[in-house]
Amino acid sequence: MGASSGPRLSGMQRQVLSLYRGFLRAARLKSAEDRPKIESLVSNEFRHNAKNVDRKNFLYIEYLVRRGRKQLDQLKSPDTVGLSALNVSFSERLK
Amino acid sequence: MAVRAALLRHVRVPLQTLNPAVTLTGPKWGPPSLRWMSSHDDHLTKNEVTDRVLSVVKCFPKVDPSTVTPDVHFQKDLGLDSLDNVEIVMALEEEFKLEIPDKEADKIDSTNLAIEYISNHPMAS
Repeated sequence: MGASSGPRLSGMQRQVLSLYRGFLRAARLKSAEDRPKIESLVSNEFRHNAKNVDRKNFLYIEYLVRRGRKQLDQLKSPDTVGLSALNVSFSERLK
Repeated sequence: MAVRAALLRHVRVPLQTLNPAVTLTGPKWGPPSLRWMSSHDDHLTKNEVTDRVLSVVKCFPKVDPSTVTPDVHFQKDLGLDSLDNVEIVMALEEEFKLEIPDKEADKIDSTNLAIEYISNHPMAS
């Protein structure tokens, strides 16, 4: 691939995008019924944090990425239909 | 690659095999000149890739289809963010039945690069 014209991504941005990709990949493996629900929850969560978390707040972002990775591992298990695991983080945030 | 080079050095294909019927069924490791103009003998022309990439991008909910051309930049021209960019590349993966590794996926930020990557990908279908 040639040189990209866009701004280079920081390591942390790349980690976040990779996590997002991981969630979307995991969602593909769920049922046709669950998949859109998972995708919209995940997308909302990422967009919410992208908008509300200060981009310089590295510690907190690192924490979110770590937590996200654990949730992704749970989601990947075939037993997880997804929503319950993700709802926990969703309601925690709303407190 | 070493194997391919060794094979090519020993295999001599007469010129008349250049007719289309043979190139379609011919061996994958045929002379480079056969592959040169037809991006991948047995599938996907660059035009087809371009059409399908454009239609995937046009179908993206946040995109105004009339603004999509073969050389738009997802973020600069279509007003998308990096998360949308991930979603578009994932949609392209599904359309062409590929898995694009993170390192490559991060670089694909325009229709142009997407078309280039996919038309050079041996597994795209």
